[in-house]
Amino acid sequence: METRRDVFQAIADPTRREIIRLIAKQPMNLNAIADNFDVTRPAISNHIRILNECGIIEIEQQGRERYCKIQPANLKEVSDWIGQFNALWEQRLESFEKYVYQLKAKRNKHGRKK
Amino acid sequence: MEEKNDLAKRILTIKKTFDAPLELVWEAWVQPEHIVKWWAPKGMAIKVVKHEFKVGGEWKYTMLMPDGNEFISEGVYSEIVMLKKIITSANFRPMTEGVEMRSLFEKDSDKTHFTFSVVHPTEEYKIQQEKMGFYNGWGSALTRLEALLATLK
Repeated sequence: METRRDVFQAIADPTRREIIRLIAKQPMNLNAIADNFDVTRPAISNHIRILNECGIIEIEQQGRERYCKIQPANLKEVSDWIGQFNALWEQRLESFEKYVYQLKAKRNKHGRKK
Repeated sequence: MEEKNDLAKRILTIKKTFDAPLELVWEAWVQPEHIVKWWAPKGMAIKVVKHEFKVGGEWKYTMLMPDGNEFISEGVYSEIVMLKKIITSANFRPMTEGVEMRSLFEKDSDKTHFTFSVVHPTEEYKIQQEKMGFYNGWGSALTRLEALLATLK
């Protein structure tokens, strides 16, 4: 199964939301970010990787340090989260509609049992 | 600012007319055995953890994402009129909390008119939620991101 890499994935985790909040203020390196959390550095590193894959942050190598920066272009999507939420509902109701017709067809087939 | 758009954004309404009898549409909407068939996006496993279909009753569905994180949908029914109307509070964690879901059903011979809306909390309520930390910092992150966007544009 293909792994989801979108806004929902990016913000699905409280630690990632907190990382976004931190980096939105200023670019930070991995160590500085990790200092803000009680979890292990590899765990933070993994969250950063996911945020990067979701297009929310970019990672810049400066000498030995890797700096994490917010990617403004993709933030529009994040800030339109209610829009995302609505799209989810449109999809869900479409899937409900399909199911209603499946159920109807099934019931008609077994009409006698009804 | 975005205040003008906000009210329209706050309420989502979807209307559909089903070519199916009211009883069937209602059943598909309220019974757990049916809910598991349409609630979750494709490929996502869903579990109905709680389903007390009565006023004051709680419902809770969980969906497992490929990475092991859970999406939780839950709420408390505040009004149920059989074959007509369901109003429930709803939280969709971690996305959004404190919304109200309204589902209205109307019989039209063999068809069913269905009106669904989700009402997001008022501004004041949203601010209050943020203060209480309901959004786990997401609300304030959004504010900062928007401020950042404004400076970059």
